[in-house]
Amino acid sequence: MESSAATTTPTVTQRDQWMVEYQVFQKYELFASLPRNAKSAMLELQRDNHMEYLTKGLKRLEPSFSVLDANRPWLCYWILHSIALLDEFVESELEDNAIEFLSRCQDPNGGYGGGPGQMPHLATTYAAVNSLITVGGEQSLSSINREKLYMFLRRMKQASGAFRMHDAGEIDVRACYTTISVASVLNMLDDELVQNVGDYILSCQTYEGGIAGEPGAEAHGGYTFCGLATMILINEVNRLDLAGLLDWVAFRQGKECGFQGRTNKLVDSCYSFWQGGAFALLQRLHSILDEQLAHRHSRGNCSNDSPQIGVASDICDGEKGGEGTSSQVDKTCHFMLRGLDASRPGNINCIGYNFIKQPAEEEPLFHSWALQQYILLCSQDLKGGLRDKPGKSRDYYHTCYSLSGLSVCQHSRSHDEDSPPLPSALMGPYSNLLERIHPLFNVILERYYEAHEFFAKS
Amino acid sequence: MHGRPRKAPKPEDAAASAAKVEKLRSLQSQFLSNHHNKIYTREALEVNAKLLEINPEYYTAWNFRKLAVEHRMSQPDSDPDSVKSILNEELKVVESALKQNFKSYGAWHHRKWVLSKGHSSIDNELRLLDRYQKVDPRNFHAWNYRRCVLLSNLLKRKVQRFFPKEVVLNEEYNLVHQALFTDPDDQSGWFYHLWLLDQTVKADVPLLVSSWPAHDDLILLGDRNLDDCALSPFTTFHFYSGTFPLIVCFDQAVEGVNSSTISVETVLNTEKELTWKPLSINDSKTSQVWVTHLNYPDAKLQSSEAYPVEVRVGHSKGIISSSGFLLNHTSRFVFKVLLQPIEKDPAGHGGEMISWGDGNFLLYETPSQKSNPMISLDQMNIMDEHEQKSSQWRAETIANEIALFQELLSEINCKIGKLTLARLLMARDILLSPCANKTVHSEEVIKLYDDLTNSDPPHSQYYKDERSLVLLQQITSSRESLLRYCFRHRDGTSSLIDNSFCLRLNNLSLSRMGSIEKLLWVQMLDLSHNELQSIEGLEAMQLLSCLNLSNNRLSSFTALGPLRLLKSLLVLDISFNEIGSHSIDTTRYLCPSPLSHSEEIVQSYDETVTGGVSLTDYWEAFLIFRGLNLSQLDIHGNAVADEKLNSFLVKIVPTLKWLDGGKLH
Repeated sequence: MESSAATTTPTVTQRDQWMVEYQVFQKYELFASLPRNAKSAMLELQRDNHMEYLTKGLKRLEPSFSVLDANRPWLCYWILHSIALLDEFVESELEDNAIEFLSRCQDPNGGYGGGPGQMPHLATTYAAVNSLITVGGEQSLSSINREKLYMFLRRMKQASGAFRMHDAGEIDVRACYTTISVASVLNMLDDELVQNVGDYILSCQTYEGGIAGEPGAEAHGGYTFCGLATMILINEVNRLDLAGLLDWVAFRQGKECGFQGRTNKLVDSCYSFWQGGAFALLQRLHSILDEQLAHRHSRGNCSNDSPQIGVASDICDGEKGGEGTSSQVDKTCHFMLRGLDASRPGNINCIGYNFIKQPAEEEPLFHSWALQQYILLCSQDLKGGLRDKPGKSRDYYHTCYSLSGLSVCQHSRSHDEDSPPLPSALMGPYSNLLERIHPLFNVILERYYEAHEFFAKS
Repeated sequence: MHGRPRKAPKPEDAAASAAKVEKLRSLQSQFLSNHHNKIYTREALEVNAKLLEINPEYYTAWNFRKLAVEHRMSQPDSDPDSVKSILNEELKVVESALKQNFKSYGAWHHRKWVLSKGHSSIDNELRLLDRYQKVDPRNFHAWNYRRCVLLSNLLKRKVQRFFPKEVVLNEEYNLVHQALFTDPDDQSGWFYHLWLLDQTVKADVPLLVSSWPAHDDLILLGDRNLDDCALSPFTTFHFYSGTFPLIVCFDQAVEGVNSSTISVETVLNTEKELTWKPLSINDSKTSQVWVTHLNYPDAKLQSSEAYPVEVRVGHSKGIISSSGFLLNHTSRFVFKVLLQPIEKDPAGHGGEMISWGDGNFLLYETPSQKSNPMISLDQMNIMDEHEQKSSQWRAETIANEIALFQELLSEINCKIGKLTLARLLMARDILLSPCANKTVHSEEVIKLYDDLTNSDPPHSQYYKDERSLVLLQQITSSRESLLRYCFRHRDGTSSLIDNSFCLRLNNLSLSRMGSIEKLLWVQMLDLSHNELQSIEGLEAMQLLSCLNLSNNRLSSFTALGPLRLLKSLLVLDISFNEIGSHSIDTTRYLCPSPLSHSEEIVQSYDETVTGGVSLTDYWEAFLIFRGLNLSQLDIHGNAVADEKLNSFLVKIVPTLKWLDGGKLH
């Protein structure tokens, strides 16, 4: 970016970028100049204010929210999930209201619409199911009509393997992810749903390494997460060019400390989850990644020329003893291969569970502290709620995905779920600690376990 | 939702906004009641339009409009004019919705849908796109839609036999140049340029590019005469059995190849209908290469006269590309078949082992030569006047683009610019001569790819693959260049191989195969000491009897999938590869594997293969080798190779006589 700036007049994109950098660096400079205890105060997550903002949204929204009328289950999910991340509770009356409202969004023929009476839609179905899992409990989980929902998912399946968002709607990677995620968490993923989905996702991975929304389009953070998570859930993740994907996503974290969604775009806090969450997934795919890299470089002499890949394998070799590494690799391969043998029905539904149960293989390959710094200093509205970037106003979408990303950062260095993160993994006071999420579904891990157990019986 | 500037709410007009909410609520409930009662009146549509104007994300409302449009168009009183006004109305609704939210999935999708109804003015659509792309050049909805608009428009005009493709594409090139030269780091434009190039170069109508036997070839059946050796190995072929394959190769994957679309006429014709099979490793019904077998078992017909066989491809319409274009030229070629008496027993394979050592090969020296088989198809493609104009336009456009990018690259160093230039140069070579491929630029292109491989290691595999294709095009571009790779094997008299003529493409750093359409005649092929990870494409070389793949980077048995279609393969060397070195097989997905469920499971083999070795240990090896009739195999130097595998292979390949250089009993 900088080299071309010298010769030509700056483009709009460049000016916008400089503007954002200026605003962000101003905040960091101010922060750096503060005395120690003031720093700590600035890094504090404003729990009470966030709760106030979130609870308000659950009760009554301003008229300006009318543009989200077709996304009301999303509002439920963003708010309920944010509250759960903060480990806070909502009044049981509000919970009951949410369950009752989502039931009214449920279509008689399966799936959830954007509001009562609207036709069912895959994205709002995902939001509704995740909301109900987040609320948890018998009443909430049993309100989902699984049989009808399954029929809806099948109706959206296209001959190509991909899915339509709704009847006569668009086909893209979101549709694949929301379908596979919902089917997996509800224990009803099967060969019919999985068939050829992998081919479609593969056709969307671009030369940059990231995944685009549809074939021929540009690699994008949201779709990359969706595509990667889908491929894991259908156990075909080794078909992706993981090294290329890692390479792409690693370079989406910029000097603003947060992530951008696409190459040469502005930083945006919601990618703290979309891109940061992809790292939480990639942390558990290292043995496959190493295989792909070994394959590529075993004869070539280019390993010296490619720093980022060199670093990746250095970490692998350095962090673990030889014995530990080999046994780990064997175990993962075994798991992947066993999963691929999908002739036994039901097996594929356990992937989400097994995936999170196996310990992370490596440290995360993004700068977790830097991202936390961006979220806490730049995207946090001290009056409650989080925003895209300085200068924008808070909203529930960015609140949800900034907090999800923050949780990913905080837990990225703990190798298993039972040990809470060390204070050194957290930026700011330990009271900033958020609940741990399941990175494949983005629901609180404990609530995922509850749902997994509940639906395993049915 | 996100990323869109939001207006700050003004608390003072709370009353006004409350009224707005009231209005919206009433619109919503009216709409839902219309929707559920299937009321598609003008009033209902107005309510719907108002709702969408406020909230374009309301996808249920978009679907209601689709239903309403279809309902109104199916009315008995609908005529072209009323259809036009109905669809115009839809475009207007989308436009006002996009004003509210230009990232609305529902609105863009609805516009595509209207377009699919055959209604749009390309000028309008492009004007609209220009407006949105000026506001936000990175709006991927808009770029996706632009692709869709142009594509559908081109298809439509094509049908009308009116060709504005050139005009439209020229304008698009200009547009994308502005974007690229303003900011070469912005990728959206490069993506679009890539797609434009594809649209410019790609021939829609499928074309026959080569066949085996080619025009004027001579096929000898029966016993071998010593005089035969004097004949050209390019144009004369010998078979002991009365059967030989007939292969046709198109420039793109096609379907509909059968005995009615391809006629084969000869006085020897047996009445039986020919069955054409696609040479495809993934069981699809479309393929670039198709094969059938001609059978002359009746030795009584032998004579000293060669019988002509005339083949007409496109004899009747029905060969169709996967994008729906019909092959519309009939191509005709004639070859001759000479039946000779069979006296001695064709011993099948003899006692001698084929050795691939360099000392066994002598550079082939051509006796005075007459015809070049590789260009014989050239003359068959007669262009009509329009096509000539169109191809002239293509050549000019590509030349322009090349000049432009050379200029751009002289100023900045840009990976994707280099890649684009490499693709442009290759496109020019192909356009200049579609069949004989004069590769004037291949040296330059190879240099660009070498450069890219060094400067962009993460994508080096891709560059190497492209480089391999260019190199192979260069090698096969003319008879002279090809002859440098042609050798005669010393064991010429061995009865194991009918032809001791060998193509040696070893030590060329090839990472994949290409230009197969020019190599259909090859019977002995040496690909050793390359960097092959996949041998995709080899399945088309139906005459192959000896194949050396040693010292490559094949990492699994599944990577050998194409071999399963080579029924005449006798000698195979896969020694010193990486089979078994990688616990995760990434090539598995390039080839059918037992895990992709495309394989039929053969139960009966469970019993036949026993003796301490379980079938499941070598499932992939089993799938590859069970259908081959190899007599010689070299597999040592792979991690997987051991005594156990060897004894397994001996069991499933009963024809095997030589394994890893040792004679079997």
